Amino acid sequence: MALLSLHGIGKRYRQGEVEVSALQGIDLEIEEGEFVALVGPSGSGKTTLLNIVGGLDAPSEGRTELNGTDITTLKEARLSDFRLFQLGFIFQAYNLVPVLSALENVELVMVMQGRPAEDRRRRAQHYLDLVGLDKVMHRRPSALSGGQQQRVAVARALAAGPRLVLADEPTANLDSENATALLDIMHRLARKQKTTFIFSTHDQRVMERAERIVTLRDGKIVDDRRVEARHHEHAD
Amino acid sequence: MQQSHAASPASRLPILVFIAWRNIWRSPVRSILTISALASGLVMVILYAAMMEGMIRQMVHQATAISVGHLQVHRQAYIDDQDLYATLPWSYLDKIRQDIPGIQVAPRLYASGLASTAETSTGVLIKAVDPRREAEVTQMLEQVRSGTLELGRASDSKEGLPRYNLVIGAQLAKNMNLAPGSELILVTQAADGSVGNALYRIAAVLKPLEPNFDRMGVLMLIEAYQKLMYLDDGFHELAIHVDDITRLEAVQAELDAELKRLMAAQPLDELGGKPVVRNWRQLTPMVADMLEMSKMITFVVGFIVISLASMGMLNTMLMAVHERTHEFGILLAIGMKRRWLLLMVLLESLFLALVSALAGVALGAGVVSLFGERGIDLSGTLPDGYDWGGLVFEPYLQLHLAPADLLNASLLMIVITLLAALMPAWRTVRLKPAEAMR
Ligand SMILES: Nc1ncnc2c1ncn2[C@@H]1O[C@H](COP(=O)(O)OP(=O)(O)OP(=O)(O)O)[C@@H](O)[C@H]1O
Ligand SMILES: [Mg+2]
Repeated sequence: MALLSLHGIGKRYRQGEVEVSALQGIDLEIEEGEFVALVGPSGSGKTTLLNIVGGLDAPSEGRTELNGTDITTLKEARLSDFRLFQLGFIFQAYNLVPVLSALENVELVMVMQGRPAEDRRRRAQHYLDLVGLDKVMHRRPSALSGGQQQRVAVARALAAGPRLVLADEPTANLDSENATALLDIMHRLARKQKTTFIFSTHDQRVMERAERIVTLRDGKIVDDRRVEARHHEHAD
Repeated sequence: MQQSHAASPASRLPILVFIAWRNIWRSPVRSILTISALASGLVMVILYAAMMEGMIRQMVHQATAISVGHLQVHRQAYIDDQDLYATLPWSYLDKIRQDIPGIQVAPRLYASGLASTAETSTGVLIKAVDPRREAEVTQMLEQVRSGTLELGRASDSKEGLPRYNLVIGAQLAKNMNLAPGSELILVTQAADGSVGNALYRIAAVLKPLEPNFDRMGVLMLIEAYQKLMYLDDGFHELAIHVDDITRLEAVQAELDAELKRLMAAQPLDELGGKPVVRNWRQLTPMVADMLEMSKMITFVVGFIVISLASMGMLNTMLMAVHERTHEFGILLAIGMKRRWLLLMVLLESLFLALVSALAGVALGAGVVSLFGERGIDLSGTLPDGYDWGGLVFEPYLQLHLAPADLLNASLLMIVITLLAALMPAWRTVRLKPAEAMR
C-alpha cells in the first residue's frame, strides 16, 4: 500500500465573486521512501497541494490517505497530533523560533511529543551533527546563515521521527551552492532513515536531485516520472 | 502510533515559560515602555492607597484615641435618652478591671447645665472624668490649647467660696469670652431634683477635637460632679482602650459575657435597661461608613488608573501577536496545540505584569518611605488643620502602606492586564496555519 494516496483532490478559493481553482482532479500515489520533487510555474498549486497533504488546509473535494488514515476526516486536535507524530515540515524561510538556540529548536517538536528529556537531547545533537551543525548548535537562528537555518529545520523535521517530510521550496532563499548542498543532505538522510520526502521547487539544479518529479500546471498534474537522481554522495 | 510516549501536558510548561520569558525581551524598548506604564500606574495607585490608609489611620486615631476609645459601655436608657439615672455601679468597674486583662478603662459621667458669667450664659454639656484613668484610655486631656491642665480643687474665690477647676472647649471659651483664670457658674438640675449650682475656675482651654465638645464641653473631676449633681452611685459611660486592637471583637464579646455575669450577681434596676457594649465603629458610624467608602473609592480609582495603564499592554500584545503570525503558523504546523500557544501568549502578558508589579511595588514603597510616617506637610497652607466628617485633622497627610494594600494593588494589576491580554491571545486561537504562513 502506498504511504500517501490522493484521490480526486480539488481546491477552490473564493475571492469575493470570483472562484479560483487552485487544484483539480489530483490523483497521486507516493510509496514509502520516495524522494519526490513537486515542480511547476508560480501559481500552479504546489503550496496548496503540500498544505493539503500536511493537513494544514482542507481540500474542496477528494480524499487524502496517509499511512492508511483518511486525514480529510480528522478533527483539528487529531490532525494536530497527526502532524506532530507523523509529519515533518520544512518551510521556505523563518522556520525557527528566534528566541531558541538551534538545539532547542530541534528539541521543541520532541518536547511537544512528550519525549523524555535525555532522549530528545541525544537525538537533537545527533541530527544536528548529521547536518553538520554540531559546532553551532547553541547559537540562535539570527547568528546562523540562511543555509544553516534551513539545515536546522531539516534536523528538526527528522529528529522527531516522521513518516513523511513536506518541504515547500526549502531552497528558495538560498544561493545555488547552498541549495544543492541542502538537497544533498536531505537526500542522504532520506536514504539513511528511509523517510519519504516531498519538496517543491522552481530550481532546475534542485529538481535534478529528485528521484521522481511531479509537474503541476494550472492545478493539474501534467507530468510524473521517475528519474536518475544526480547526487554528490559524501562518504558517511 | 508513536503517541505512546506522550507525557503529561505539564512537561510542556517549562519550554512555554522559557519561550514566553525570552519573547518579552525580543523588543526590549517596547517591553520596557509597557512595563513603565504599568509600573507608574501601580505607583500612583499605591500612593493613593497609602494616602487614604494614612487618612483612615488618622481618622481612626482621632475617633478612638482622642475621646471615644475603642469600646464603650452604657446602659440602654442612657443610650436612648441620656437618662441621668441610668448608671452602672462602681463595683462593676472594679470587677471588669479585675476580670478582663489587656484593657484600660475610664469611667465618665455626663449632665447638661447652664453656664453663666457676669455678661452671658449658655447651655453646656458637663463631662466628668477621672484624669488618671482617662489618660490611660484617651489623649483628650493632652489636647490643651491654653492654660494648664489641673482638675482638682482651685483656690477659693475672692468672696471666699470653694471652687473646682474646669477645662472647656475652644469655641465655648471664645463665645463666652473665657480664658484660663476666668470664673464660671454652672447651674443644673441635680439627681435629687434640687437645683445644683457652684462656682468654678477655668484652668485650661482644649484644642478643637470634636465639634460638640468644642462648642459646649465642660470637663470636671468626678468628685466635683458628684458634689454638684448628688449622683455618686455609679457612672454613665465606661470608655475602654484595648491594648491589642486586633482583639477588638474578642474583647467586646468577653465584656458582654462579663456584664451578663455581673448582672446575675448584682442585678440592676429595671428602668436603666441592660448594659450595652459598643465598639468605635458602632459609636461613630459616620467614620466607619467613610472608611468603607474610602476603601471603595480607592478600589475604583485603582481600577481606572490600572485599566488605563493596561491599554499599553493590550497594544503591545496585539503588536507582538501580529508580528509573529508567521511564527505561530509554523508552530501550529509542526504540531503545537492552540491551547499551548494561547498559554504562551498569556504567560508573556503575565511576565510583563509581574515585572511591572515588582517595579511598581518597589518604587511605590520607596516613595512612601521617603515621606516617612510623618507624611506630607500641609501646615503651610492649612495651619489649623482641616475638618472632615466631623473630626478635626492635623495639617499633614500621613502616608501609610499596608502590606495587604500592596498585594491587592498588585493582584488587581495582574488580573486587569491578563484580561487585557485575552483579546490578543484569542487571535492566536483563530489562526489558520496555512493562511498565517502566506
Ligand atoms: N488563500 C488563498 N486565497 C485565494 N487564492 C489562493 C489562496 N491560496 C492560493 N491561491 C491561489 O491558488 C493558486 C495556487 O497557489 P499556490 O500558492 O498553491 O501556487 P504555487 O505553485 O505554490 O506558487 P509559487 O510557486 O508562487 O509558490 C494561485 O492561483 C493562487 O493565487
Ligand atoms: Mg508556493
